[in-house]
Amino acid sequence: MENNYSAEIKILENGPIQIKGEFVFRDSSGHKTTEYKEIYICRCGRSGNKPFCDNTHLKHG
Amino acid sequence: MDNYNNEYTGSKNRKYTNGEITVYWYPRKCIHATTCFRELIEVFNPRKRPWVNMNGASTKEIIRVVDLCPTGALAYKYNDQITDNDTPSALNGHETEIRVMEDGPLIIRGSFKLTGTDGKEYNNPKMVSLCRCGASMNKPFCDGTHSKTGYKGK
Repeated sequence: MENNYSAEIKILENGPIQIKGEFVFRDSSGHKTTEYKEIYICRCGRSGNKPFCDNTHLKHG
Repeated sequence: MDNYNNEYTGSKNRKYTNGEITVYWYPRKCIHATTCFRELIEVFNPRKRPWVNMNGASTKEIIRVVDLCPTGALAYKYNDQITDNDTPSALNGHETEIRVMEDGPLIIRGSFKLTGTDGKEYNNPKMVSLCRCGASMNKPFCDGTHSKTGYKGK
């Protein structure tokens, strides 16, 4: 069966949210873009580059 | 078979335009969250017919409130981006929107595949709210804990 989704979201264990595919991305100030094809969103709350992951979670476990 | 797409082809669907944008209304998706009329009664008034008055506010304000709709029952498109063969399902049926909520979760809406840390697939959810603060007791989903812990995040 043909995939009927445009994006794949994976929750990485003890790590970020991986988003791959075609999607509209809207940041917290309302700016929209369709340019991203693969992004990693911080899930630990400690990234210095929110909303994106900067691997800070590795320091904190 | 695919309920998600059927919601875009029902005979009760409506569209409204102010010449600049067209607002689409998919009543079968609405869960009556009341966001639209609490935010902008001048445009979205369920007691009036038609219930959407596109002259009640600026395009920018209408877009702001359409974007707040939690279920996607309201959608919009700029008129100059609409082609003759555009159907509502072509606009939305296979799109995914990722929204970062300030000091809050990540909201994902549309048609996407979600896989958990154990490899478990959540079959075609229409909308999920994922924890960004690291403190949810229901990970990977948001449970509102961020507002208690005072999470700050762009």
